[in-house]
Amino acid sequence: MQDINLTDLFVSLTGRLGLNYEFLATGYEAQIWRDGFITTLYLIALLIPVSLVAGLLFAACLTSGRVWLSTPVRAFVEITRNTPTLVQLMFSFLVLNTFVSDLVGGAQNNPLSPFFWVVAVVGLHIAALHAEAIRAGIEAVPASTVEAARGVGFSQLQILQYVQVPLAFRASLPAIVNNLINLVKLTTVGNAIAVSEITYASIMVWTQRDNVVSMMIVILAFFSLINLVVARIGLWVERRLAVPGYGL
Amino acid sequence: MNISADNAIVRLEDVHLSFGQTEVLKGIDLTVNRGDAVSIIGPSGSGKSTILRCINALVQPQSGRITVNRTRVDQLTRESERIALRKRVGIVFQQYNLFPHLTVLDNIVLAPTRILGTDRREAEKLARELLEKVRLAEKANAYPGQLSGGQQQRVAIARALAMKPELVLFDEVTSALDPETVGEVLWVIRDLIRDGMTSILVTHEMRFAEEISDTVVFTENGRIIDQGSPEQIFHSADNPRVRQFVSGLSGRGPVRDGEGI
Amino acid sequence: MTAATLFQPRRSSKILRNVGFVALPLLVLVWSLADLTLGRELLEWIPYLASGFAMNILIALCAMVLGTLVGVLFGILELVPYRLLRYPVVAYVQIFRNAPHLVLIFATTYIFPFEIVVFGNYLPFPDWVKAVIGLAIPASAYIAEITRGAILSIPTTQWEAAKGLGFSRNQTLRRIILPQCLRRSLPPWMNVAASITMGTALASLVGVHELLHAATDASTAVRRLDFTVIAYIVVMAAFFTLCYPIARLTRRLERRFNAA
Repeated sequence: MQDINLTDLFVSLTGRLGLNYEFLATGYEAQIWRDGFITTLYLIALLIPVSLVAGLLFAACLTSGRVWLSTPVRAFVEITRNTPTLVQLMFSFLVLNTFVSDLVGGAQNNPLSPFFWVVAVVGLHIAALHAEAIRAGIEAVPASTVEAARGVGFSQLQILQYVQVPLAFRASLPAIVNNLINLVKLTTVGNAIAVSEITYASIMVWTQRDNVVSMMIVILAFFSLINLVVARIGLWVERRLAVPGYGL
Repeated sequence: MNISADNAIVRLEDVHLSFGQTEVLKGIDLTVNRGDAVSIIGPSGSGKSTILRCINALVQPQSGRITVNRTRVDQLTRESERIALRKRVGIVFQQYNLFPHLTVLDNIVLAPTRILGTDRREAEKLARELLEKVRLAEKANAYPGQLSGGQQQRVAIARALAMKPELVLFDEVTSALDPETVGEVLWVIRDLIRDGMTSILVTHEMRFAEEISDTVVFTENGRIIDQGSPEQIFHSADNPRVRQFVSGLSGRGPVRDGEGI
Repeated sequence: MTAATLFQPRRSSKILRNVGFVALPLLVLVWSLADLTLGRELLEWIPYLASGFAMNILIALCAMVLGTLVGVLFGILELVPYRLLRYPVVAYVQIFRNAPHLVLIFATTYIFPFEIVVFGNYLPFPDWVKAVIGLAIPASAYIAEITRGAILSIPTTQWEAAKGLGFSRNQTLRRIILPQCLRRSLPPWMNVAASITMGTALASLVGVHELLHAATDASTAVRRLDFTVIAYIVVMAAFFTLCYPIARLTRRLERRFNAA
């Protein structure tokens, strides 16, 4: 009961400012919109760990010193960095997805949804950016520190695990947070293949209601807020990991 | 393997090494006995540090034999074998090279727990003893960035000792330090040598080398020109180059001093 | 030993990096020649695709010019001591730096009317111009930050040193401060340019006839899977050939400026 009253109050107050949020009082459109927000948040929550894990794997390949590992990853990194993510998504969805459908004998058998393709394309795109940041971080670890670790008797893998990655992670953290902010923004490309994230849901509402400005204010506030939170968490982690006297 | 000979723990025979076109070592012969302290002196670029890196298998010579306590270092082909050697041979570097993201205690504990598989509590106990020994017990929880150069170098020595090595290599460990902190590091090394730790030092501290060494080795251009007791090298060298080098240094203003502590 | 393991991959990745300039166009060419019916089909559509790509370049250029002008101005305004002026600008930068490009393109497309009245004349307000504005907004926010950072990074001692040498305030700004600012901000500005260029593909979602839109048109018209594949590879190749050299140059400049 009270919930409805609050909604009504909000609608009438904003109405006085010339904004139109009447759809919130209706069940159906409000539901679509709410689901849009949830889908976007779900995408972000899923993409952050996916991109980080894949990014670490890519970085390991790039710095492995093995040409057959680093070359394909390097090629992928350059292509994904220098072509629009939207084009990659359309290509994946229209071409790769069709191949998969043919492979499993028809689209009805294809288990891969548009949602999957958004996670795959955006996740790997951001992973490529992470990998570049981590690689730069690993290369920034002084050679003498690595030699000291070898001198003590650490194996290549142990040096990576205990010395290079912890130091590289600290050095690349600002770049990684920046990539995550890009990740949040990139979730909107799902719109192109009808993943009902927030922009897609909003279009469904404003084509009926003609209230683009009102919707935009909320969407912009929403993304500002998420990215503020991401940046804050990044800063918090940075402070927690900060080491006295180690330049950052 | 000549067992009868031997009190020798390290033996280099005709070791040649070059980086690309540059010949760094041109036939090094060197024997270090158990419990001895050997100082390697000589002009910069004469290959002193490279000798230490050969003994620790950080670099591989092109030819010659290197034996460390019955291990033929020059014949090690797999990284795992080299790692096994490095566990037994500690090395301390000019630039200390502590791990900047770990506390002093963790710097010392990391290798024993991860490489030797020592129990964490036991490793910590040893680490605290070693910190006591290098007079830094109160700095256990500090980060390397909060310490002076001399303090960091003492932690680096403790880190090397935590592996309970058979011998320790010191690579110009005071060259990067402020003059005020050189003494405290030399103090620690002197203690160590008195306790009987086999040590090979590359150093520019002539007074210190004279005081603590059993043998002094003079290198120039990748060769050992002369070696003998400190008395021989510093006061009655036959070789004119050695005489020139030693006298040139002593005339070089105030000698850094580790004695006054 | 270490030298060997370090240098080997360097050399091969250098070759790889230079292969990058031509790899995708070469792939398209080889495939077209291998399957001539496909090649002929593609050749027919190339002018249409090219007109689309011209639109991408036009949008990117306009958005960068507009974004740079506004961004530099806002970057300076972010540093003025008057709060009334500074706060709105800071808010603008914060909001639009964090906003998805697609959202801003939607905003400008659906909020602005399709024509505007100037002195009683109805002027059309085409969608591509709206896309320009939609991309100029985030560009201006990024560039404002770059400008602010560049100005802040010049130490005050530079001003003093110049004054000491007898430069006037104007000369100091023109000959000493601005050149340093430019040097510092060129690489990040180029990053923005590349990002905005790739953002122009988003305009396809609001119906602007640009390359991605053209490729979708073409592939629905031809109805051949292999044509769809090659059409999208052409799109990737076009963007890649434009953005990859920019990225390479940016990295080179960054390295040179960092070393200096």
